[in-house]
Amino acid sequence: MTLQGILVVNFIGLVLLLWVLNLVRHGRLYVGYGVIFVVAILGAVVLLSVPWLLTAVTHLIGAIFPASALTLLALCFIVLMLLYILTQITIVSNRLSKLVQELAIERARVNAKRATPDRDRVPENYTE
Amino acid sequence: MTPNTSRILIGIPAYNEAGTIAAVVERVRASLPDYDLLVVDDGSVDATGLILKTLGVTVATHMCNLGYGRAIQTAIMYALDSDYDALITLDADGQHQPEQIEGLLREFEAGDCDVLIGSRYIAGGGYRSAPFGRRIGMKLFSLIVKLVVGQRVYDTSSGLKAIRRTVFDPLTHWHFVDFHAEAIVYLMRLGYRIGEYPVTVAERTQGRSMYTVVNYFKYPLKTSMLVLLGIIQAGLTRRRHRS
Repeated sequence: MTLQGILVVNFIGLVLLLWVLNLVRHGRLYVGYGVIFVVAILGAVVLLSVPWLLTAVTHLIGAIFPASALTLLALCFIVLMLLYILTQITIVSNRLSKLVQELAIERARVNAKRATPDRDRVPENYTE
Repeated sequence: MTPNTSRILIGIPAYNEAGTIAAVVERVRASLPDYDLLVVDDGSVDATGLILKTLGVTVATHMCNLGYGRAIQTAIMYALDSDYDALITLDADGQHQPEQIEGLLREFEAGDCDVLIGSRYIAGGGYRSAPFGRRIGMKLFSLIVKLVVGQRVYDTSSGLKAIRRTVFDPLTHWHFVDFHAEAIVYLMRLGYRIGEYPVTVAERTQGRSMYTVVNYFKYPLKTSMLVLLGIIQAGLTRRRHRS
């Protein structure tokens, strides 16, 4: 990669990094997800900025061109992230469903109790 | 009907059934006045909630739409928490005849089934104008159940069911799409008994069916996947219980 390319990659990486950190700072991105993105951005920047490292990774994967190796890594990352995010959504969705069900049941029980006359209750004006 | 001491809850899951819910509730009350009734309003956006309020029926309202399976599960959870011995579920679209529940209950109480399904496809039952696609699907899932558990269940997607307390717990601890073939396979692999009782089902006159064009493709795939997972889960549960 040319010096210009490395500079562009570093600049984009820096902007993304600052964006992620800002999202975490404002509580709009959970710190755990933030860490994943920080590691991924730093990894990509280092990989693209160090030519011999990119060549080594290309050989390790068995690709001929570095671009193919990068595409494969990017695809793996996207699929893994998608699966992880969908897992998290499912967990949150299940928790929400449980909460909605519990609330519905509790309200129904209160209503059923109200509708059933309490036979054991002593009337207020009762005297022996 | 012979008097019995068991507590039975009638559960009706309803989603946007403003056109039929009042009639269904009234018919259930008229046919089975001695049983408690719970309607699970699954986040309806039409007048279903308001109608239920005027009917004075016990309602468990989901704040948002969770789907048929979750609505049934809410009824099961309510029955479990409130110590009911059995739960009868029927659809709110008016297709099931509440008058037939009495016969279903008689058979259920006399027999030893943990779940008794109101079946449209066994001798004595009937379903007027069943869509062709659904008939094919039904046959397919009936065949799958036969292959997996060795017993033919002809109507795997009936909403009319009598569920005994013995299966309340397993049904709240595993996820189901619609409590259809996947629930039947799961329960039978756990050793519970499933039976069928003939019922006739009327044509839907109001509201929309939950089976849309997309669902005709999505439903069999989702159910098949859960049937497979149900077999594995039931096997693991049995192994855990043994050890």
